[in-house]
Amino acid sequence: MARMAREKWYDIARDLDWELSYVDYEEVFPEWMSGQGKVPREAWAGWDEPYKVTYPEYVATQREKETGAYSVKAVLQKSRIFDQLDEGWKSVAKEHFGAVALVEDLAAYAELRMARFGLSPAWRNMATFGALDETRHTQISLYFPHALVGKDPQYDWAHKAYHTNQWAVIAARATFDGMMMNPNVVDVAVQLPFTFETGFTNVQFVALAADALESGDINFANMISSIQTDEARHSQQGGPTLEILVEHDPRRAQWIIDKTFWVSARLFSVLTGPGMDYYTPLPMRRQSYREFMQEWIAGQFVDQLDDYGLKKPWYWDEFMAGLDTWHHSMHLGVWYWRPTVWWKPQGGVSPEERDWLHEKYPHWEEQFGPAWDVIIGNINDDRIELTLPETLPWLCNLCHLPIGTAGSPRNEKYPVRSYPLTYNGYTYHFCSRPCRQIWWEDRDTLYDPTVIERLLGGQIRPPTVEGILTWMGLTPEVRGEDAYGYRWARPYAPRRRPGDRPGRAETETRDRGEQAAQTPGPAGQGQPVPVNAVFEDDFVTQLVVVRDTDTVDQAARKVAAQVVGRRVPLRDAGLVVRHDGQVVRGDATVAESGISALDVVNVGWAGGHR
Amino acid sequence: MSRPVGPVLRMSDDVDAIVAAIVDDNPGREVTVVDRGAYTRVSGNGELRVTRESIERHLGRDFEMRQLEGLMSAFAGRIDMTSEEVRWRLKSGEPGAPA
Repeated sequence: MARMAREKWYDIARDLDWELSYVDYEEVFPEWMSGQGKVPREAWAGWDEPYKVTYPEYVATQREKETGAYSVKAVLQKSRIFDQLDEGWKSVAKEHFGAVALVEDLAAYAELRMARFGLSPAWRNMATFGALDETRHTQISLYFPHALVGKDPQYDWAHKAYHTNQWAVIAARATFDGMMMNPNVVDVAVQLPFTFETGFTNVQFVALAADALESGDINFANMISSIQTDEARHSQQGGPTLEILVEHDPRRAQWIIDKTFWVSARLFSVLTGPGMDYYTPLPMRRQSYREFMQEWIAGQFVDQLDDYGLKKPWYWDEFMAGLDTWHHSMHLGVWYWRPTVWWKPQGGVSPEERDWLHEKYPHWEEQFGPAWDVIIGNINDDRIELTLPETLPWLCNLCHLPIGTAGSPRNEKYPVRSYPLTYNGYTYHFCSRPCRQIWWEDRDTLYDPTVIERLLGGQIRPPTVEGILTWMGLTPEVRGEDAYGYRWARPYAPRRRPGDRPGRAETETRDRGEQAAQTPGPAGQGQPVPVNAVFEDDFVTQLVVVRDTDTVDQAARKVAAQVVGRRVPLRDAGLVVRHDGQVVRGDATVAESGISALDVVNVGWAGGHR
Repeated sequence: MSRPVGPVLRMSDDVDAIVAAIVDDNPGREVTVVDRGAYTRVSGNGELRVTRESIERHLGRDFEMRQLEGLMSAFAGRIDMTSEEVRWRLKSGEPGAPA
């Protein structure tokens, strides 16, 4: 039977709408959900999706995709391929499943919100397909790892992660709630389908598939690239929405893209960067994270922005510079705080891997090499306890990622520091100026306390590392450890000269055991003063609890104990404390010197930098 | 290539035939193919198109345009899709558009 060509009837079918007469338009499409803003109502009639699909086509195509993905899985499950996968690579998949599976579910709700409140019938039609897509993605992203739970309990976090308060999950939840659930649907269409799905998800679902296939994980490569074929279609809800918004309110359009792009880039520096540049086995890396980001984001996505008459975001240079540093900082942090993650980070700093890092990132050695040298020394001297945390990094009030990781050590332009803001008498801390600015603009819709705030607010008990891990839902059998059992560090042992030995902090014996994250001690020892402390040349700022009766010298040693001999080599020099840009006298007490809770405290070596 | 547009095809047996069809359907236009294993990026400057007819000729079997969706993980540029043809382009790359 000859069928009428789709284009002869499609426009009428998918643009079928009706005039409301029993209820007001505003009741059906309330502003707070639909987000019409300055766009006149009639403008939405011009909404035209470029990627057209009918329901019969949709069903036929999805059936073929599902058959393809599940039949590959069925065949491979009978093989021994999974058992031969590299442990580092497996962690890429574990991180992906935990961070992504239930976000797919959240995206189904975002699509359903557009399917209900979208301002044109064509848009609502596309969003209905989008919701079906995201349901498929949730199912497949839960079903594939489920088969592996019996082999490795970390795969259980595909389902568990978003039911916990693990720190990366809190960061992702804040980002995705802000992208999918809090905003009106016009903003959702520009944030989720346009910025996130035509930009960032390509890096995670298409680019990463290249590394997956090289690493032998055919199943994973097949699954994620199958998912992305849906995204390529339903992400096309963004373009028509953006086109109308740009015409009537270009400032709003630019702002929505700018803020979404920034938080997405921050999140990808932990979600995708370490997997590509450290966990994927060296011979299997198709490109570096920076190269993939250049291809998909700095190239393809920026061309698209330009095509819609928009500019690069205001912080563009800072973002591009961050491609050289952010994910290296995040990797160092995730590795150091490895018990706090549900995967096994691969250190990835063997001599050969280090050569690769240096080739791809010419400043890597200068900025990150010294910290890894201290860590390698501790591993080879069997001082593993010094490669494990006793406190937490201070976290950004916007992106929830460690402060310092939007910069790097020995980096004058983007240093390791907090960008604080005191508002209504409370000091918020941010990893970067853009995070601070986004928070300021959106502050009325944001209320997600960071792990640090929850800890200081007494929600985490006992406030020890063990208490924090338990509170984050990390049962002992899933806590991360080095993927290779430190074997990547062994080649350095014979080469090391005695002079290269990293030392311990001189104060370590005194201060270890006095965990930074501990509650106030007995009366008479002074009041605890939690500060956001950064030690010269470290990569992150940290929570350190000093006491108001401590001398500044004692406080400085408490800060040093969390850094020196751990990530910064010991030096034969005294310590200097700066507060509010001024050097503080070492014999004054914390109280006398005006250091208060939540303040930034800088500690460095006496006698200047290096 | 200053304004690359075109599909990103996922690994499948049909990739070579689709690429050949794209090359056929864009005479006089430089087509760049980058193979990264799990995906193949096909690019042309400003615009690329492919027709169902050419795909069928290279595949040697019937092909419905909707089936391209299952092969295409992403694309650069804007897309226009009919039962007979798909085009990828940039609006600003159109003749007469501001440079």
